[in-house]
Formats: sequence, C-alpha cells, structure tokens
Amino acid sequence: MTHPYVRLLGQITRVGGVRGAMLVVADDGLVVAESLMEGIGGAAVAALAASLTRRFAMVTKTSAVGELGFLHLQGEDGTLAIVPAPTGVLVVAVGGSDMNVGLARLEMLRIAEVAR
Amino acid sequence: MRRTRAVEAWTVEPLDRFVGETGARLTLLMTPAGQVLAQQGFTRAVDVMASAALGAAIFSSTGAIARMLGEREFRALNHQGRHYGVFLGALDASRGKLLVLVVYGPDSSLGLVQLFFEDLAEQLVVAAPEPEVRHGPILAADFERELDESLASLFGR
Amino acid sequence: MSLVNFTTREITCKIVYYGPGRSGKTTNLQYIYGRVPDDRRGRMVSLATETERTLFFDFLPLELGTISGFTTRFHLYTVPGQVYYNSTRKLVLQGADGVVFVADSQVRQLDENIESLQNLQSNLIEMDDDMRSMPLVLQYNKQDLPPQLILRPPELDEALNFWGLPSFPSDALRGVGVFETLKAISEQVLRKLSEEASQ
Repeated sequence: MTHPYVRLLGQITRVGGVRGAMLVVADDGLVVAESLMEGIGGAAVAALAASLTRRFAMVTKTSAVGELGFLHLQGEDGTLAIVPAPTGVLVVAVGGSDMNVGLARLEMLRIAEVAR
Repeated sequence: MRRTRAVEAWTVEPLDRFVGETGARLTLLMTPAGQVLAQQGFTRAVDVMASAALGAAIFSSTGAIARMLGEREFRALNHQGRHYGVFLGALDASRGKLLVLVVYGPDSSLGLVQLFFEDLAEQLVVAAPEPEVRHGPILAADFERELDESLASLFGR
Repeated sequence: MSLVNFTTREITCKIVYYGPGRSGKTTNLQYIYGRVPDDRRGRMVSLATETERTLFFDFLPLELGTISGFTTRFHLYTVPGQVYYNSTRKLVLQGADGVVFVADSQVRQLDENIESLQNLQSNLIEMDDDMRSMPLVLQYNKQDLPPQLILRPPELDEALNFWGLPSFPSDALRGVGVFETLKAISEQVLRKLSEEASQ
C-alpha cells in the first residue's frame, strides 16, 4: 500500500517537467516521503536542501523581508524548488529545465498546508 | 578556525573536510576500545577521553542488543537532544574497526551528518595505513625506573 | 588493546578493575582520583545506579608522564560486580591490556570471590584470551576489618591465587595498597607491550 504522503506527492510529480518530489524534516534533513525518478539521490538532496533552507531563512529574517516562503534554484539542467511548511516539513521538488515552476509551486503550497 | 588534533596524521584531512561540510561542533575518531586517534572541537583533553570512553560504551552496548536481535551490529546511531544531537558511526579500516562520534548543533542536521559520514568513512578507509609493524622492544630496559618515578610523582610520594 | 603511536610517541593502555560486588573496585579509582593532581588526570566518569552501585563502569584517565620517550596514558575502568551484569562486564573487558582483580577479604565473601574469578576466566576465554597471557594482579581488600571477619593474605592466596600472581593486601578506602597494586599492573602491562613488539 502506498503511504498517504507519497500519494500526496503525486500531485507535484504530475506537473510537467517534475522529476521527483519529497517531504523532508527541516531540522533533521531526513526524508519523510519521496517519489523520485531513478538517479536522484533522495537522502543527499534532502540533507542539503534542509541545510540551504536554514541558511536562506536566516537571510530573509535578517534582511527584514519576513519568513522564507519559497526557494527556487535554477541550474543549467533543471530546477530545485522548496516550500517550508509551518509544521517543520519541507516540500521539495526537482525538475528539468522544462519544469512548470508556477504550477509546481501551487501544488507544493497546497501540500504544505495539509502535510501535518 | 578550529583544527583537528590528531594522534595519527592521516586522519586530519578527511576530518577537516567533514567538519567543514557538516558544521559539526565536536568530532572524535577512536578505536572500539575508546582510544582516541583524532579530535576536533574539544578544548579540554580530559573531556575527549571521557567522551571517547562513553561513546565506545554506547556502541558496544547497543552492539550487544543488535546481536540479540540477530543483527551483526548497528552501523550508525543517533541520539537527539533539544539543542544538540550525537551521531555515532562505524567504519572498517585496514587496521580494524574505527568509530566516529559527532556532536552537531542547530546549524547542522542529522541528514547532513549522515550524508557526509559516508564520504568520511570512504576517505578514512583509503587514507588508513596498514598497521605498523616494529621490531625490537618499544621501551628501554630500565623502563620500570621511569615508571616508578612517574607513579611516585603522580601519588605525591 | 593498547594503542602505540611511533610518530607522536604515545602509548595508551586500558586497565580493568574486576571483582565481586562491593569489593572496592570503585573505591580504588576514587582514591587514585583524589590523590592525583588535576593536570595528571581526567574527569572520573561513573555510570552508577541510584544506590551508587556501578551499573556499567567507572572510568578514570591518567597521564603517567614520559616513559622511554613515550607519553604514556592509562585508562582505568571498573566493571559492575553483581553476577547478573555479566554482559556489561564482557563489554568493559574488551580490549583490556591488564586486569586488577579486587577480592573482598571477608570470610563470608569467599564464594563470591571464587565465582567472580571463574567468571573473569570464562569471559577472557570467550574473548580468545586467558589468565596466563593477560597481565593480572590480585588485591585483597578490606584487610583493615577485624581479624575474625577476614582471611589473611596467605589464606586468600591459597584460595584464589593458583597461578602465583602478584598479590597485595589493601584498605582501598584509606589508600593502603592502592598505589602498589597500580604500580604492579602498570609494570606488567608495559613489559608485555614491549615484549610483544620485539617478537
């Protein structure tokens, strides 16, 4: 049986260009649930994404622009997107250059609302 | 910058890199009997020895539980506190098993420590020299005299 | 197993104080801790129950100083004495370079001493070691008690010391015999270490 969290991640992986999605504990950088295409190292992405998010959250706080709401990194071959949920979970999406970032973000925000 | 203090020089580079990547507060490399090979972050040598003895004890006592469960051993253990976590991992080098104890704070995470521990273990296994074989006695023939003097001064005699 | 580093010229050895419950193993370490200057010893760690009985071990690191050009450290451990803690005793015994067997000299404790000594032997055999190859000294503690309550050293030698090992009468609470015991085991451990390297 698929875990309900993995089913939830299906809402992100259905979006065009998305190669995988994960729920990650922000404090630990450990994976709670993942739905990833082969070749993406879930544990490594989760640990580094959590570390990055912590640093960027410090930057937004100290620059008085409020809580970090969305992190979008554009690489040569693709995209990494992170939404920190208020419950201490990170919603992480990895995609190609063709990823529909707008739609993916919408789904990530929805999941951040319900992922408790 | 904090530097690794090592009894054995081959441990320095991998440990420095590990601490740089993870932001670990304290790192200790030791034998399963609690003998320290290298450390980073501790300021008092005495705390190093106590931590190593306790870390080795945790590893060996949970190893006994593992064997009761039919596991050979636990390769990694984590203890989570409110502000700090302690990670204990094992690796197999040419000279035998070694343990790494890592204390990390809120600026790092278990995920990061686990991730870079795998790299550290690989690098240490590659860097570890074969056990040293020396011929000839280590201590001078009259070592007892020096030992007597050391113990006498230790006990204020 | 002792750690000898030729580059940094350091030796670290592990010595375990073994024996039946309440024979005075922790008292030996506490006396040493109290006598040794701060800069020559580390923190004493005691993993004890609420009633101060050793649960896992006591640990005391000592800096002996330089011997034959090697900075020499001893790590002293005790084991819990009660019979049912054998699994933790085995863990502490792992990697030991030498053992001090602390016997309780009281007449009524003789059986406990014999049982503990046999337990030490079987644990060492299980670890592919044995009494003959492991540096070992005996300490007959509580010799300060009234003579009618205790066995004298020759009697204890008769009952426990089949191998003719060095043995020392002691009153660990007041420190009598503690130093002599540590000195004897230190010599044996370092001698064996040196002999092994020369083979």
